[in-house]
Amino acid sequence: MLRDFGLNEVWFLVLAARWTLALSAVAFVGGGVVGLLLAVARISPWRWLRVAVSGWIQVVQATPMLMLLLLFYFGINMFGVRIDAWTAAAVAFTIGTSAYLADIWRGCIQAVPQGQWEAAKALALNFRLTLALIVIPQAVRMALPPTVGYMVQVVKGTSLAALIGFTELAKAGAQMNTITFEPVRVFGTVSLLYFAMCFPLSMLARRLERKLHVGSLRVQAL
Amino acid sequence: MRFRLTRWAGLLAPALALALSAFGPDKAQAQTPDEIIKRGKVVIAIDTTVPPYGMLDSSNQPAGIDIDVANLIGKQLKVPVEFVTVNSPGRIPALLSNRVDMVIAIFSITPERALQVAFSIPYAGQSAVLIAPKTTSIKTPDELKNLKVGVTRGALEDGALTAMNVPGMQLLRFDDGPSTVQAMLSGQIDAMGGGDYGEIYLRKGSKGEEYEQKFPLRAAHFGIGIRRGNPELLQWLNTFVYSIKNTGELDAISRKWRNGAPMIPLPVF
Amino acid sequence: MGYTFQFGTVLGYWPQFLEGAWLTVKLSAFAMTFGLAVGILCALARSYGPKPLAWAAAVYVEFIRNTPFLIQLYFVFFALPNAGIRLDPTKAALLAMTINLGAYSTEIVRAGLESIPAGQIEAGRALGLNRLQIIRFIVLLPAIKAVYPALTSQFILVLLGSSIVSAIAAEELTAFANTLNMQTFRSFEIYAIVTLIYIALAFGFRAVFAGVHAVLFPQRAG
Repeated sequence: MLRDFGLNEVWFLVLAARWTLALSAVAFVGGGVVGLLLAVARISPWRWLRVAVSGWIQVVQATPMLMLLLLFYFGINMFGVRIDAWTAAAVAFTIGTSAYLADIWRGCIQAVPQGQWEAAKALALNFRLTLALIVIPQAVRMALPPTVGYMVQVVKGTSLAALIGFTELAKAGAQMNTITFEPVRVFGTVSLLYFAMCFPLSMLARRLERKLHVGSLRVQAL
Repeated sequence: MRFRLTRWAGLLAPALALALSAFGPDKAQAQTPDEIIKRGKVVIAIDTTVPPYGMLDSSNQPAGIDIDVANLIGKQLKVPVEFVTVNSPGRIPALLSNRVDMVIAIFSITPERALQVAFSIPYAGQSAVLIAPKTTSIKTPDELKNLKVGVTRGALEDGALTAMNVPGMQLLRFDDGPSTVQAMLSGQIDAMGGGDYGEIYLRKGSKGEEYEQKFPLRAAHFGIGIRRGNPELLQWLNTFVYSIKNTGELDAISRKWRNGAPMIPLPVF
Repeated sequence: MGYTFQFGTVLGYWPQFLEGAWLTVKLSAFAMTFGLAVGILCALARSYGPKPLAWAAAVYVEFIRNTPFLIQLYFVFFALPNAGIRLDPTKAALLAMTINLGAYSTEIVRAGLESIPAGQIEAGRALGLNRLQIIRFIVLLPAIKAVYPALTSQFILVLLGSSIVSAIAAEELTAFANTLNMQTFRSFEIYAIVTLIYIALAFGFRAVFAGVHAVLFPQRAG
């Protein structure tokens, strides 16, 4: 029943890290799609939309990720609505991630000089075309380093899904600790696995930053 | 600057539909034993962090008393069992959201819970007891004064110790059993409430320290939880529990996982 | 499926909610203070310190920033006792929060330090300021001013992140919510109320940060 923490156990944790990666991918893609819509809405020509979206982003950024998870998993379940840990986590992480990405990307879009907008207007491009052809391609360059940097937060943030019973890396670590009771080795291994996933992203973000000379923007975006 | 809302709505609508489809009620939910058989599988929620009831075996597959009982249900219904892992606060939501047909996860029968779910007659039970190092002399609840006592949030021992309300006792609530045991091993607490063989698990991780049961706190029995308004399934489960008690199968499971100890006498209701 | 809201039942526990929220505020405020202090020291070490010290600070920052807070928390509470350091849940939570914020604020303050032109420091020397005066008036204050928005965003994340410390039995707001959830099963009401409290706290802290900014960096006329 009880056993030592050996190679077999390490492998179990490595396999569980797949779920951390899958959850991160869902959070990043969902958050990215919604975040882009929010970022565009933040600079749309309509004041009411800008105000509403900015308010929404501020409220989400004032809400703990854990609360979003608990609300969606335990709260919504109470209405008899089917929502499993996967869906709850996907929805909660999408909402949370989108609010931060929207802020980062809005900053980048707005950093594109106003003259570009005016030039596009002179060429009779509408808002959508200006955005798609002129502004976003330039903004992407600036957005790359802080976005990759934020992915580190997304990967680490998925550990919260453990608290609603989703078996990813952190939860697998807790399970392993139940049968081995070797917290230093178990959580040490878990830390190293997270580090192995996050550190390359951190390094990539830093390299992109240096390469693209957009260091000053990172401070504002964070 | 022309900006057509309809085009953006065209983009948004499929995304929204996709998101909402995840919330739709599950039409495939089985209510009666016949429907479960017809569907060809029984979906059972278990907790793999509560040895010896539920844990992972050496090939990291679910194992334990609850899992053996669940497999017997599958054997009787002649359908495969699909396990869904939940944690203790996730048990009721798993049922209410139609995610599982039943919960077999050290689910203590309480009147509060019975307002939301239905319980079968007990298939197992245990006493919550106070556990502390042998070197600590505690004989009565009063002696917990000025000590730190760890419990699992919302578990039996939490209720019992909270009700005792010993002056000066500091009650630390952890999210799960393993964290409580870990706190005991780390010396973060002076005593803990836990299952009546919890000291077996403490022994594994301890560095020479011996633990023992000091006094019982409260007894509980575990039932199989299902959704309310489901009398046919409930009746079948009661019959099933009665049967495995009679055939000795339940006793065999208990001896297998509890160091040869037979199943305690179980009441019926 | 017939779910009746029972906000009244849950709101009846307002004194406990308040008590939990107060511990959350205290934990966050102390963690922000200590975390910033750690951050300033490590940033100075990284930018101006001798090689080994700068290197040690870099390792600390990278390791903390690339592993989840939950795992750091487990380490402080469950593994540190192996080294003879035994802290009660509240102190362990504060230590983990300080270590975590320290790493992030090191990076943020360092970005601020790097934005100070070398010429300004030379100008300070020319004016006859001593080392401490230069660090305080010419390097640190302008550096913090430059990164103040990033710093306060990180502070808010500490407040929101404190919701996780219930995992080691610290009796803050989320811990009380979880306990109440196990007693009453009114998940939706409980987590909705607690989310609102966190949002209120976050906006409250932001208001305080704006006030501190006005005092520390008064706008000069002209």
